[in-house]
Order: sequence, then C-alpha cells, then structure tokens
Amino acid sequence: MTQPARRQPFALSVLLGAILLSGQAMASVTDEDILQDPKNPGQIVTNGLGVQGQRYSPLDTLNVDNVKELRPVWAFSFGGEKQRGQQAQPMIKDGVMYLTGSYSRVFAVDARTGKKLWQYDARLPDDIRPCCDVINRGVALYGDLVFFGTLDAKLVALNKDTGKVVWSKQVADHKEGYSISAAPLVVNGKLITGVAGGEFGVVGKIQAYDPKNGELLWSRPTVEGHMGYVYKDGKAVENGISGGEAGKTWPGDLWKTGGAAPWLGGYYDPETNLLLFGTGNPAPWNSHLRPGDNLYSSSRLALNPDDGTIKWHFQSTPHDGWDYDGVNELVSFNYTEGGKEIKAAATADRNGFFYVLDRTNGKFIRGFPFVDKITWATGLDKDGRPIYNEASRPGAPGSETKGTSVFVAPAFLGAKNWMPMAYNRDTGLFYVPSNEWGMDIWNEGIAYKKGAAFLGAGFTIKPLNEDYIGVLRAIDPKTGKEVWRHKNFAPLWGGVLTTKGNLVFTGTPEGFLQAFNAKTGEKVWEFQTGSGVLGSPVTWEMDGEQYVSVLSGWGGAVPLWGGEVAKRIKDFNQGGMLWTFKLPKELVAKH
Amino acid sequence: MNWRLSCILACWLPLAAHAVEVDPVPSVMWDFYHKQFLAQAPFVFDDRVKLLAPPFAEDARQVPLEIDARAFNGHVVKILAWAELNPLPKIVDFQPKAGVLPWLSLRIRIEQATPLRAAVLTDDGLWHVGSTLIDAAGGGCTAPSVVRTQPGWEEHIGEVLGGRYPRGEFSRVRVQVAHPMDNGMVSGIPEFFINHAQLRDQDGQVLADLELFPAVSENPNLAFDIDAPGPTRLVLRDNSGNEFDAAIP
Repeated sequence: MTQPARRQPFALSVLLGAILLSGQAMASVTDEDILQDPKNPGQIVTNGLGVQGQRYSPLDTLNVDNVKELRPVWAFSFGGEKQRGQQAQPMIKDGVMYLTGSYSRVFAVDARTGKKLWQYDARLPDDIRPCCDVINRGVALYGDLVFFGTLDAKLVALNKDTGKVVWSKQVADHKEGYSISAAPLVVNGKLITGVAGGEFGVVGKIQAYDPKNGELLWSRPTVEGHMGYVYKDGKAVENGISGGEAGKTWPGDLWKTGGAAPWLGGYYDPETNLLLFGTGNPAPWNSHLRPGDNLYSSSRLALNPDDGTIKWHFQSTPHDGWDYDGVNELVSFNYTEGGKEIKAAATADRNGFFYVLDRTNGKFIRGFPFVDKITWATGLDKDGRPIYNEASRPGAPGSETKGTSVFVAPAFLGAKNWMPMAYNRDTGLFYVPSNEWGMDIWNEGIAYKKGAAFLGAGFTIKPLNEDYIGVLRAIDPKTGKEVWRHKNFAPLWGGVLTTKGNLVFTGTPEGFLQAFNAKTGEKVWEFQTGSGVLGSPVTWEMDGEQYVSVLSGWGGAVPLWGGEVAKRIKDFNQGGMLWTFKLPKELVAKH
Repeated sequence: MNWRLSCILACWLPLAAHAVEVDPVPSVMWDFYHKQFLAQAPFVFDDRVKLLAPPFAEDARQVPLEIDARAFNGHVVKILAWAELNPLPKIVDFQPKAGVLPWLSLRIRIEQATPLRAAVLTDDGLWHVGSTLIDAAGGGCTAPSVVRTQPGWEEHIGEVLGGRYPRGEFSRVRVQVAHPMDNGMVSGIPEFFINHAQLRDQDGQVLADLELFPAVSENPNLAFDIDAPGPTRLVLRDNSGNEFDAAIP
C-alpha cells in the first residue's frame, strides 16, 4: 500500500482498515450494476464489458468517421523496476479507474486526470511459480471492495477508497505451483475465481467466496475424480465427485496431478444462469503417460453459480498432446436461424478450431478452422470431436530420453491464446486475435515432483510466414466465413473491443493501439503507446465525451517461450503504462 | 497567560509541578506534529510520561523503547508515539483497556538522531507529552532487511515467541513476532508490516488495542504489563491481510 501523502490521519485502529476521510460519496457496485454492464455508459464494472464477455460497447459517439480525432488525454506510469507484461482490462466506477499491473499490483486512478489515488503492492514470496510471466488480468468490483488474485494464489479484497486490505484468503498453495492471473468475477453476490498451474501438475478448481468476508462457499475441481464441496456454516459438505468417479478417462493415479487449470477465469450467462469457464491442458504434456480423454482438461464447463455443480461440458481437445489448453473464453450470443433464436456460445480454441455451441446444453452446433494451418487434426466430427492426424502426435519416448519429434500447427501458444475476442451485435461478427505458427514438439519421460514443472515434453516454436504471425480476423459464427483479416508482424497478444460506432480496437506488441472499421477491416486509427499492447481496451463515457483506455507494457508468455519467434520480438522494450484517449466534444459534430 | 497555562492552573493545578511550558527536547517539528497527530488539542509536556531509550542507537534498526505512563493508570485513553525526524515517523497507537497497565515496550527503527515522543491522552481530554532524544549513526529505516536474507523466511511469518513473567503485582507479557515489517523504503520491496495487534483475555475481551506503523523494527518485540488474571492471546494482522493468533498462557 503506498499512498500520496496528502492525508495521513491517525486513524483509530479498526480491523477492517481506515475509512477515507476526504473521499467523495460514491455508490457501491451492485449485482444489478454488474448484470446491466455495459448499458450504463459511464461505468465498466465487469471484465468483458458485460458478464457474457462480448466486449461490445453500445457507445457510438466515437465512430469510424471521427476516430481519427481520438487523442490521448493522459498517461499513467506503473513505476518501479517491475515493467513486465501488462494484461489487465481497466474497470471504471464513479470517475475512478481500477486496474492491475505486473507483480500483483493494483492501482486506483482518477479517470479524469490520471492522478493516482492509491496503489496496493502485494508482498510476494520469493518462490512464486507463474508459468508465463508475472502478469495479472484485472480486478472485480463489488460493494465497496476491489478484488484481485495474486501470483501466490491469494484472493485479496481492498477498500475501493483507500486500497487497504479488507480481507485476504489463500485460494491454493503456491508451493505446489498454483497462482492466480485471471480477473475474478462476481455473480449473484458470489466472488468466483479459477487458478493457474497446469504446468506444475496442480488440480484445477473453481471456487466461490463471500465477497464481504472471503468465506469459502463452494469448490469445484476441474479434474475427474476429485470431490466438490459446498460450505455451510464453515463446514464442508460433499457435493459430488467431478465426472462421477475417478479413473474413467484417466489411467492410474495421474488424475491426482491432472492440471486442467481454469487459469483464464470465466464469464456468466444470465439467460441460462450458467458460469462458463474453460480449462487448461492436462498434466503432464506427454500424452502417452495418460491414455484416455482426461476429463475435464482442455474443455469448456458450464457451472451452476450457486453451488459449482457442472451442468455440461464440451471438450475441445480430448487427450491433448500439444498443450492446447481449452481455457479460451466462451462468449454467449444469440442469433436467429430459420426464424428461431439460438442461444449460442462461441469460442476460438488454442487448437485452431472455432466452435459454436448451444449454451443451454453444451451441444456442438458447428466448428471450423480459424487459422490457415492445422495439422494435428483433419477436421471435426458431427459432435465436434477432432479427427486426429495420428502422425502429428509426438511419439512416446520409450526407453530413449526423447521420443520422435513432429512438426505441428498451431504451436502450443495457440492459434489464439488468452487474449479475448469481441462480438459485435451490429455486424454479427466475432473479432478474433489469432496467430499463425507451428512447433517442433517431442515427448520425454517425467515423474511428478511437487512444485516442479510437470511437462514431459520439449518444444520449439516457429513462424509459418516470413511477414506476419498475428492475424486479426473478422469471423461470421453462422457460416465460418472469414470476412476480413489484418496481418501483424509480431504475434498478437492483446484483447479486442468492438463498438456500435462500427469500430474494432486492439493492440500490437509493436506498441500500437489500433482501430479498424468493423465491417471492412480497414485500419482507421493508430497510436504508438511506447511499449507492446497486451491489455484489453475499454471505452466509456464521462462528462458527455467518449473515452478509450488501454494498458501498454510488453511481456507475457511470448518472450519467455518464443523459440524462433523470439527473434521477431527481442527488440521490443517492456513498459507499464495506462493510456487514456478521448474524442473532444467539439470534434464530434465536425464529422 | 496563555490558554495552555490557564487550562493547567484551572483544571490540573496539582499536576503543574510536572508540566513544563518549554519543550524539553529541542525540536523543529513539534508544532507540525501537534497539528498533524494531535489536531492541535490541549497538551502539556509532562515528565511523568517516561520514554526510556538509549542515548545512542547502537543498531538503528533495533532501538529499544519503553513508554511508561503508569502515573496515569486508570485514566489513559490512548498513547501515540513517534520519532520526529524519521521519514515515516509514526510508531504506535496504543490503547490499553482495563487489565493492562499504560506501559509498553517495543523496538523501533531510527533514521537519524531524533526526538522521540509519546503523547498520552487522559480521560479528561488533555494530552501529556513525554519526550526524549536519541542519537544515532543513522540509516535504520532504509537499511536492507536482515530477515529477508534468511532463506525460507516466508515460512516463519507470524510465528510468536515469548512468555509471561510474574513481576509482583502484575505480570509482564513479552513476545517477538517473526515478520519483515518492510516499510516500503527499500527499492522494489513493497510495504509489508503488521499494522494491528490486539491483546485479549481468555473470554475474548480486548485488553489492549494497538495500531503499529513501519517505524516498528522487523521481527517486532512487544511487551505489556497485565494486572488481570488468566491466559491471554495476541491477535495480529498485517497490511496484506494475513492474520496470526498466539496463545500466551
């Protein structure tokens, strides 16, 4: 906690922290606020601009014609020497912006001026085990509290006015490899989080807490064989084994260290009252050690938010052998077909296929490739199960130290990684930040050791094209047709925003925040932020003007695992900035 | 005659022998802290509030300090202590309740030679300010932590060593708590310190409430004098929300 020195009253000691004396009267965030997001244009209180995660803003003051007048109004530095990947989406409430930076830091910033109101730096132990950079993907807001997860797998609640800790709970043991990087979400008064750690053989789980005091309410493991619990008056009550029983889709004891970490968090669909989460790779990577489908790894799960019961699942990569995590966001959307409204959900998987599911039951509607090259499967069957190309599964090491190496596309970093896509209700298109790359991958022997990497594989990643890796694509979920594409030299790693103003925003590792015509893909604006843009942009309205904000700061998994790709990005400098832009009032009418 | 003296003469005439008009330690900061910490409330410099500290800080990171306001036993609302020339001056806000004497011992950090103060608010609304001076080579607030150089220190956070020792009329509880008490002044290491402590009796009744600040040394030492019977517990909380609960029989 560091705070500007403007107020230091000798606060009476209270367990719940000091109350700001000079603060403005501000409304607290309610369930209704969360469900209405982003209809109230003055605030953003959900990760995803709405619980469904469409990242669509109904604002159209800023549009494709006047976007060239969009200009920076302030920038805020995260300071310190800890300039690593910045992947958060800012939240805005009552003129205050709440966001996270690398190394488990939280900032509250005056949205009008960029002045820092407070900063909270989590005190991390020396032995944190993040697999893929020390990033964080943002906060949740509820009541008068700001919530986020730390790299040592704690959930922390801060007073929104002071940044002081109100409560802190250990979600899992970081020494086993657990961490938290995703933004938690609040659904019907429950604070819900996943965990990361699939590279360490953790057991993935989704847990719900009471936002007021951090009391655990339910826990749902995402690996078959583990018991789920609900907590009543502090007592754990069994709520069914995930998948019914152990051993059905996992051999031997491997389900005990099965991974499937829901590390990207999830969204919520109020129409079906379902939490929609994705799960990561099974552990270890070497698939020959674990014959079977390995549920619920590389899957999408629909959970009852009241008790964490799994209502349905869809596994995109059964028996994954390529680190094709299935964490990618499942975005709810409705469309009409044959006069009938379909309650669908779409997801663009690491494995290169785009899936449209019936979100009432998880049934496969259609699926299609969204990248140019997929070698591990030749297609999907009628239920959406991949038709494997067995030659693309790296060989078992046998008695050798290393099994046969194969070249596979997409690479393990995925046709699309964590960076969230957006759905535009006006164009009916999804805007998908994708990457074209492949890898050489081979298997090795491995035994589980607590807290140590549990991969059993080696790999090196390669671009498929000389002139680009990243491709921003506009995809029609009804036909599978790619409507437009925009190529980028470096791999794309930032989230996407789309608006009623016929705009699509996303950032590049080269440091540009860019805007595109949502219908045509024409680039209509860009701004150099000084470091790679990995954050998810947002737009909101304040004092009658439309604003756009995004985090800038290169890092994330690409520079750590980049292989041959690293050559393309090695000269990108790190950073840590929050940029805010607006379209000045007087320029709205001009166009 | 100014308000201060008239107040003393009218209300605390018997005390006047202990109250002095002139600051007993030379300080350029008194007016500032009187305003900032005491909100310019009525006060007296009072030699019955005893601050015991060594004349020179051998180790500026671990300076023993004893605050003794037993002269006001039964009338103390709270005790505020600070080191005037520290970059982070506040030390402790101590509120002894029934069963605990207005006496506290702890260890603090000193950045340079400084006046030390303990302001005791009595139930009549007057602050009695005790003062002393300490000399130091300096650097106690910005020197690297000793705790953090010990491997595995995270494992021991919140461990409490100590006991209770009979001293005739009362008994003394002395504890040491394992905690780095990072004050945020060492580059790259965020604030991480115990900011609240509560001494409770066997029924959970609060015997003493303490707000602690980063001027308190790492691995804080605390001692209280208790004149109530029965076992006690020390409940601690740091600014990261970690909570520790130690039983002291």
